[in-house]
Amino acid sequence: MDANIKFNTKNLNLFYGDFQALKAINMEIREKEVTAFIGPSGCGKSTFLRCLNRMNDLIDSVKINGEIIFDGQDINGTIDVINLRTRVGMVFQKPNPFPMSIYDNIAYGPKCQGLKDKNQLDTLVKESLMKAALWEEVKDRLNKSALGLSGGQQQRLCIARTIAMNPEVILMDEPTSALDPIATAKIEDLMSSLKKDYTIIIVTHSMQQAGRISDKTAFFLMGEVIEFNETPIIFTNPQDKRTEDYITGRFG
Amino acid sequence: MSRKVSDLLTKGIIYLATGITLSVLLFIVGFIFIKGIGLVNWDFLTRDFNEKVVYAFIESNDVSLSLDEETLNGKMPFDKRYETHLEGPIYIENIGAAIAKVAYKNHSTEREQVVITYIEKDSPFDSAKDSTGKNITIGTDYILQSINGTDFSGMTLAEVAETISAESGELKIKIVQPGGGIKSNIITTLYMVLLSLLVALPLGIFGAIYLTEYAKPGRLVNMIRFAAECLAGIPSIIFGLFGMAFFVVALNFQISLISGSLTVAIILLPVIIRSTEEALKTVPMAFREGSLALGATKLQTIFKVVLPCAVPGIATAVLLSIGRVVGESAALLLTAGTVAQIPGTLFSPGSTLTVQAYYVAKEEGNIELACAIGIVIIVIVIVLNILSRITSDKLDVFNKK
Ligand SMILES: Nc1ncnc2c1ncn2[C@@H]1O[C@H](COP(=O)(O)OP(=O)(O)O)[C@@H](O)[C@H]1O
Ligand SMILES: [Mg+2]
Repeated sequence: MDANIKFNTKNLNLFYGDFQALKAINMEIREKEVTAFIGPSGCGKSTFLRCLNRMNDLIDSVKINGEIIFDGQDINGTIDVINLRTRVGMVFQKPNPFPMSIYDNIAYGPKCQGLKDKNQLDTLVKESLMKAALWEEVKDRLNKSALGLSGGQQQRLCIARTIAMNPEVILMDEPTSALDPIATAKIEDLMSSLKKDYTIIIVTHSMQQAGRISDKTAFFLMGEVIEFNETPIIFTNPQDKRTEDYITGRFG
Repeated sequence: MSRKVSDLLTKGIIYLATGITLSVLLFIVGFIFIKGIGLVNWDFLTRDFNEKVVYAFIESNDVSLSLDEETLNGKMPFDKRYETHLEGPIYIENIGAAIAKVAYKNHSTEREQVVITYIEKDSPFDSAKDSTGKNITIGTDYILQSINGTDFSGMTLAEVAETISAESGELKIKIVQPGGGIKSNIITTLYMVLLSLLVALPLGIFGAIYLTEYAKPGRLVNMIRFAAECLAGIPSIIFGLFGMAFFVVALNFQISLISGSLTVAIILLPVIIRSTEEALKTVPMAFREGSLALGATKLQTIFKVVLPCAVPGIATAVLLSIGRVVGESAALLLTAGTVAQIPGTLFSPGSTLTVQAYYVAKEEGNIELACAIGIVIIVIVIVLNILSRITSDKLDVFNKK
């Protein structure tokens, strides 16, 4: 088995009740690469992403079959879901900082894991904020509520919060769709700098964004992965007619 | 044309209804205030409800009067509604106090009594002791009934003054502490609020957490919710009967603070469960997801993220509950009793303000007193309202920016 493969899904099917949202998905996601998911809305990108840290556990109607192998372990099998989520972090579409101070937002995850030492927490908070390129902007207001930050800052805070867990993978579900172009640019810069340390999987509504930041791109359509390849190939030389239609904007 | 008329008519009815509602409200509050305000003063709030007879021991010691006669005559601190001035005052040097004769109307009986109207600085009364040697406070409006065994009944005020002046050395004076105050009722009410919340709040909050965060929607949850709704609609006398049968009799808690507060706690549960549930439901799913995605457990998510967001809602529940406890009469009448005393233990009876208002109005026919208690109740409710609003604003995590 290829040691560089972080996630490997085998014949993954997902149902919301009777509705099949994911159809026989086979995908290998490599370590320390940025993988982008594109496709029209409602095609199952978020659903697939949420399989990877088992967020779909929260939805009662969800039934899954097939395998999702993470570092050689089936995540729906023996693995502890709490442990999985500390290793696979997630950033959501809408920034969702907790209604507490900036400091507490970052310290929340480590504290939940039992980290109590004040000095360690302080260092961790600072490092995480620096990695998320937010430290300079918030270092004087760490004890102020995170809700007072701008949308872009809030999203970077959510990234910092995820980084504080020192995960192996960061899942991002359209992390810039609620942000203005300047904030978006900052987050894209941030992703390129995070790439060397983390495996990043990002759902994006913007093909340009996928083109700018990702190494691999998967095109989803109606619950299926139509094409999954190197990003330049997807955008310049797609193998499937439907992919071509989509990226050239000829898609219904 | 006809539309204009019907519009006008509807508008008129709307204004009329508003007007009636408002004036009824104002009328009731005004009525209570006008009837009762004359009785509300510091003594009313700080005295016991029942008179208490005590023997005071003082060392007689001549103290001369520092006031002129006119000022002394003006010192009639007692309540005109209860006491008719008959004679005096006369200042007596060896006890350093002025006394007067009044017709003292206690509840329904009217008696002539000798009362203290003024106590001079450094009066022997300042160091009065009871039979066990403990210091006791003696103030104006206290009734004097005998001195060293000589009873004052049937004497004129001048004769009383003469009798007192003739004594010297240690004096043993029979004194009646005036009653008519509601200190014990205020304290019982506060105890009742605290105890019932102490029981109902954790139960209600955990119940609400179970219903919103754990229970799979379905039969069981619907049944629990239905039960809670029904509970909220049942008149409190039913709970009172249950409390009496279960806590008072079956568990042998007697008519007591604990029986009362447990009964009220049951009455509060549906309100607390429902408000907390509503509050929990308004906490965005995104917070729960964010927390779980960081590897927090469900319990950590609930207690560290969800519950703090629900605090304003829970504060509302507390507020409603306080109002409910303060306003409760039927259930408490049966389980906590009507004894106007500060409950010494959890198992002693005590009457809350509302029960006391009911009691004096019904059993003693004293509407003024009931209204005065009503004023205190209204003020307490308003104050608690403001307090819990301030605290809920303070605790509201979304307010801090
Ligand atoms: N909780 C849910 N219950 C039922 N159906 C859902 C749920 N979430 C998403 N779906 C359906 O699954 C499909 C895929 O949704 P989603 O993964 O959100 O798409 P995308 O992120 O690509 O826009 C859609 O048809 C959507 O309606
Ligand atoms: Mg989506």
